[in-house]
Amino acid sequence: MIKLFISFFGIVCCLLSFQALAADAAAGKMRYSKTCVNCHGPAGKGAASYPKISGKEIPYIIDKLETYRSGTKIGPNSGLMIMMAKPLTDEEIANLAAYLKDAKYIVNN
Amino acid sequence: MKVLSKVFTVIVSAMLLTATSAYAEHHGSKGMNVPKIGSMVVMSGLSNPWDMTFTKDGSMFYTEKCDGLSVKTASGKTHKLYGMKGSKGYKSSGNDLFCSGQAGMLGVELDPNFKKNRTLYLYSTSTKYHGSGCKTNFERCDGNIVMKFKVAKDLSKISGRTDIVKDIQYKPFESNQPFGGPGAHNGGRMAFGPEGYLWVGTGDRHRGVCPQDNSLACGVVLRIDGNGKGHPKNKIKADKRFYTYGHRNVQGLDFRPSDGQAFTAEHGPWHNDEITALVNGGNGGWDPHEKRAGRGACPDQYCGYEPNQMEGMTPAVRAAYTPMSDTRFKDLMPPAWNNNGYSQGTGSAAFLKGKNWGIYEGRLATGIMGIGFGGTPGGMRIDIVDLAKDGKSVKSVIHMPVGVSKRFRGLEMGPDNALYATTDEGEIYKVSAQ
Repeated sequence: MIKLFISFFGIVCCLLSFQALAADAAAGKMRYSKTCVNCHGPAGKGAASYPKISGKEIPYIIDKLETYRSGTKIGPNSGLMIMMAKPLTDEEIANLAAYLKDAKYIVNN
Repeated sequence: MKVLSKVFTVIVSAMLLTATSAYAEHHGSKGMNVPKIGSMVVMSGLSNPWDMTFTKDGSMFYTEKCDGLSVKTASGKTHKLYGMKGSKGYKSSGNDLFCSGQAGMLGVELDPNFKKNRTLYLYSTSTKYHGSGCKTNFERCDGNIVMKFKVAKDLSKISGRTDIVKDIQYKPFESNQPFGGPGAHNGGRMAFGPEGYLWVGTGDRHRGVCPQDNSLACGVVLRIDGNGKGHPKNKIKADKRFYTYGHRNVQGLDFRPSDGQAFTAEHGPWHNDEITALVNGGNGGWDPHEKRAGRGACPDQYCGYEPNQMEGMTPAVRAAYTPMSDTRFKDLMPPAWNNNGYSQGTGSAAFLKGKNWGIYEGRLATGIMGIGFGGTPGGMRIDIVDLAKDGKSVKSVIHMPVGVSKRFRGLEMGPDNALYATTDEGEIYKVSAQ
């Protein structure tokens, strides 16, 4: 039974890793620049009253975006985030999460 | 023959040059001085830098919204002068000062006689005068103040805090709006007018009654002296400190050098950013009150994002429901510019001063933060706006070739005739023209 559980756990971990590896950070960067950058600033560094979202673990961003996409309110800017997350596909969410995990802000001058 | 040919060539060339020159002069292109514009970072790694003000020798005071006031001296030294509650490294601090959402330490100005009186003015959110108010979003909340200080000669510290305005309204709690957090629409820009009075921009703090109820310090522009008393010629009888009312959120405020005319730049509600020439006693025309102008009840009694506030829709449809400048008001100050009906986050303004700006001298630089929803493009930029003499229209608008795309939060002319810009990303840029 224990062996069976370990095998199952291993498969789940592999699948999760595969999902992370399969995500396209470059595509995520492109998608980020379309709308997200307007509030969260370049490379997800946060701006004004909008929080920093870079450097977060992949499952965290995926969970948040899926929650907003489902229409669930989780904070004062939920109205905005629900509107923004609604059109996102699973693939776009995975790509955004992959991009934001390692996104770094550089002053571009 | 060769000599004759050369002479002929020279004569024809001279004639062509003269003709071209005469044509250019007649058609206005001769001597058109279009400056070369470039930008550089002068400070980076700041936390929400908001506003700046300069001494004549080039020392720069600047605010960071959740941290406090600092100065970078002309010699390059930085002093952290006055912090918010809990901030670290400042010479002194105000335990009543705090930040939340759009609110915090915002505007900073030096007295026009700073060299003699060493006086500095500072706008911040404060708990000091909440009193029995601020228990809900639907009551008075005196949560923003204007303080004045004395600055030490070596700029190393400030002291002698006196609160000259204590009742600018603040939004204490979250509400059912798209940008619904506490501290929303908190105003905060200040500027000294040509007559030596301090002008202070405030916001509607997401309260429907605010802009048109001109007895509360919200959605108004104050014109006051250094002790907080209204200019004797202010026309609004309900509160003699107020110069205009009916505003949404005044974060851009400056005076045209040629005639001293005051202009505001405001961020619209998903439609119509505006630049407006102010008139004493005039009405900005913003009225988000529910059950007025054909509207029904609105979420938390505020129609500022209606209809359909959680979805994108055509800006013109939204503008018809809750206009930025409602023409039913007889005392309306019509906007000179409305950003083609878009709202993209207009939030700062500074007239360009100095011959180095060439044809742009005297035009209004306007910072646009790039906030686009419902299909509106973001458009982070600085625009150069050529305003008509009567202030009721624009002659042209161009995008300033700054070379970077940022959330430009504050604009201020420096004593070197360069334009300085704070960005929400954490930098202060110097934009030069030559």
